[in-house]
Amino acid sequence: MLFLTMAWRNVWRNRRRSALTVSVIALSLTFNILMRGIGDGFHEQMVDNSVRANIGHLQVHRKGYHDDPGLNRTLPDPARVARAIRALPALRGYSLRVLGDGLASTDENSAGIAIVGIDPAQERTVTTISHAVTEGTYLGDDAPRPVLIGERLAATLKARLGDKIVLLVQAADGSMGAQLFHVSGIFRSGAPDLDRGVAYIRRQDAQDLFALGDRVTEAVVLLDASAAVPAAQAALRAALPVEGAGACEVLSWNQVEPFLEQFIVLDDAFFYIIVAILFIVISIGILNTILMSVFERVREFGVMMALGTRPRQVVRLVVLEAAVLAAVGIAVGGTLGSLLTIYFAENGIDLSSFAAGAASIGITTTMVYSRLTVANVVLSNLAVFLLVVLVALYPAVHAARLRPVDAIRHV
Amino acid sequence: MKLGITAAAGLLLAAALRVAAAPPDALAIARRSDEALKGKTQHARVSMTVRTPDWERTLDMESWYANPDRMFIRITAPAKEAGTATLRIGQNMWNYLPQVERVIKIPPSLMLQPWMGSDFSNDDLVKESSLVTDYTHAIEGEETMGGDRCYRLVATPKPDAPVVWGKLVLWIRVSDDLPRKEEYYGENGDLRKVLTFDDIGPAGHRPYPMRWTMRSIAKPGHETVLVFHAIEFDRPIPDRIFTQQNLKRVF
Amino acid sequence: MSLVTIQHLTKIYSNHVSVRAIDDVSLALERGAFAALAGPSGSGKTTLLNLVGGLDRPDRGTIVIGDAEITAMPAGALADFRLAHVGFIFQAFNLFPVLTVLENLEFVPALQGRPAADRRRRARELLAAVDLAEVGDKRPNELSGGQQQRVAVVRAILTEPEVVLADEPTANLDTANGARLLDLMERLNRERGVTFLFSTHDPQVMARARRLIRLRDGRVEGDEQRTPAGEPARP
Ligand SMILES: Nc1ncnc2c1ncn2[C@@H]1O[C@H](COP(=O)(O)OP(=O)(O)O)[C@@H](O)[C@H]1O
Ligand SMILES: [Mg+2]
Repeated sequence: MLFLTMAWRNVWRNRRRSALTVSVIALSLTFNILMRGIGDGFHEQMVDNSVRANIGHLQVHRKGYHDDPGLNRTLPDPARVARAIRALPALRGYSLRVLGDGLASTDENSAGIAIVGIDPAQERTVTTISHAVTEGTYLGDDAPRPVLIGERLAATLKARLGDKIVLLVQAADGSMGAQLFHVSGIFRSGAPDLDRGVAYIRRQDAQDLFALGDRVTEAVVLLDASAAVPAAQAALRAALPVEGAGACEVLSWNQVEPFLEQFIVLDDAFFYIIVAILFIVISIGILNTILMSVFERVREFGVMMALGTRPRQVVRLVVLEAAVLAAVGIAVGGTLGSLLTIYFAENGIDLSSFAAGAASIGITTTMVYSRLTVANVVLSNLAVFLLVVLVALYPAVHAARLRPVDAIRHV
Repeated sequence: MKLGITAAAGLLLAAALRVAAAPPDALAIARRSDEALKGKTQHARVSMTVRTPDWERTLDMESWYANPDRMFIRITAPAKEAGTATLRIGQNMWNYLPQVERVIKIPPSLMLQPWMGSDFSNDDLVKESSLVTDYTHAIEGEETMGGDRCYRLVATPKPDAPVVWGKLVLWIRVSDDLPRKEEYYGENGDLRKVLTFDDIGPAGHRPYPMRWTMRSIAKPGHETVLVFHAIEFDRPIPDRIFTQQNLKRVF
Repeated sequence: MSLVTIQHLTKIYSNHVSVRAIDDVSLALERGAFAALAGPSGSGKTTLLNLVGGLDRPDRGTIVIGDAEITAMPAGALADFRLAHVGFIFQAFNLFPVLTVLENLEFVPALQGRPAADRRRRARELLAAVDLAEVGDKRPNELSGGQQQRVAVVRAILTEPEVVLADEPTANLDTANGARLLDLMERLNRERGVTFLFSTHDPQVMARARRLIRLRDGRVEGDEQRTPAGEPARP
């Protein structure tokens, strides 16, 4: 207790220096929490965008489909899969789809694309594609065989609303399937893969085109939150056969799109490198202040040790002083960082200047909303605290190694 | 100085020996082989059987070819695809789809896509003549293939040639320059497809392989067999065959 | 039986030149002594006090305090020994500036692990005994030099060490304050039996000692028991 009193008062002996140190600690913590918060928000948004744009939280296919997709691997017993999905507690929606490759052509041009056959009402419960329609309707008009295409595909094909498009595919039986569709809607999702390379048609039309009868290739599931994914995945795996003839695979969004998680890991690594550099810089500053405060008190340490203070206790005192600095810095920086993170979680940050780069990785909005997590606050605080304490060890050991005789004579 | 003279003599001797043992002219063999397979013109009835682990189907078709780079193919059976036609002139390729009564131009980006669901790509149809002009050739020995003595000819793409393969290896019959086998290697050197030529029999006044088998290495169990039922060489083919009007003709 | 026994103690400093700061000194200090180490500057007074206090190591010889041979102790044990058995008074007072007078007094008992209430009570008691009760909550820099050194004396004797070592305790004080300090030390020696060994080169201070050990060039030049001025000789 007396040591704590000493540490506390020693810290405020040189108010200016300590205030400066506290500010450095506080600011780097603020930066750390805010940047982490922006990263967390950005990553969640990115995942959410991908999940809501196309891939859903979970996908169910015939086993082996993900590694080698093809019409020969249609979903076994879709009705049973749908029943299992409907039994999920955290379910927001699901969609049974037909997915296949094909060629889209107009008189002007042709393009290889992915053809997605959907039940429009069902798909609406999973993905946001219905909101992305900029012209026409969402497969909603009464004309036969409507197709919804992205604006970049429309530009490639020089197709406008109402134009005819030929979809040419190799059907499930090996025959060439060709059908005339008419453009009922054009969408802009912001995700280049979708806008450039996907055509949505009605599920029934897709089943005809691909000669699939009433089969589908995948079930896509949307849950209340990505946190519900592991439980739902396990539940589906338990409810569906995963071995044998009618085996299914139940994949989470990060298994379907491992690139997303890899990007997040990479982005995090980049963040931690920056944090490491920042920490090194502030460590040097903190080391400097603590060293100075130790050098100024050599004689005091000598007296302390002459009176019987053990070297270990001297280390403890110096570290305690650093911990006081860190605690004050953390109180200020943790509060400031959290408040800023909350502010940007509400108001967002406009990253439109990075939008060109962001679009290429599937970011569909230029506003990023930060997110404050308990882990962020706890880990950031802890990291800064440990850093300061660790840095203080060197001056502390230096003080503890002083010889009382020399130290007392020191002026 | 003395050494220089000896060396020069040695070089001369080596050069003389090389002339004496001159290997067959690879380019000439490639050109003759190409000619032997294509002729000046061709008109054929062919059936194409595509086999995959999941299904097998046969298309009947009629084809016309005029050296060097015009080709027309029309599918005659089964009913679902009958009337589907492909026209190729130089690097351009069109498909006609009778189901939708539309002509589709195949963009360059789709040249590696399968033609009519077979193991032949669109590119295989378009690029046939380039064996002579787009590659450099070397004879790497002789081997026996299907009982015939064959040159083993390795064709490497010229640096700027628009070729998707890393290398082709051909076995060409020494007696009449007909190909017996072609191996297609990817740019990283892995074997992708193997085309074998069998059932060599008389076609008019020349020998011709009546059965071509393209086997995919990447997709086990996938193969495409072309069987020539009738083939006629070097009879003039009217230009109107190789037109877009002809694509849409009801036959 | 003597409290401190020094035998053949030698301390050599060897930087550029080698100096025998203490040269084969043998001494015995009895319990309850009030002894002065006298000698000109450089005679080895500080060195000897440091050796006796276990702050420095001799090159040769032994020091036994009570029944402990401190010259044979490892560093950690020596720190504990100082904490338990030796009190120090420094020439420059050396109170901790961030602590109040009372807190300064509590420092050593706190290190010893004495309960907070006990040490606080004892600090107040002793402070009152030396007529400094009113400065308990002040910081050292608010005190005069004389007051500070008296607080330092209280700090040294508070935990009842076997021996209190003081290196020129009056050197930074004027004559009057020096005399007052000596009064306090004398009183503690008389009333509480605290053993003092202090160095000085001030003849007025020497005059107050009951035993005067004279050092010169690291050797004991004279050692006399005396009856200090104004005090009756003991039987
Ligand atoms: N750390 C040291 N290094 C070298 N010589 C020293 C050191 N401390 C003291 N001395 C020398 O030892 C001798 C005794 O010094 P000291 O004990 O300080 O004497 P005093 O306290 O009587 O003035 C002196 O000659 C002094 O110069
Ligand atoms: Mg001295």
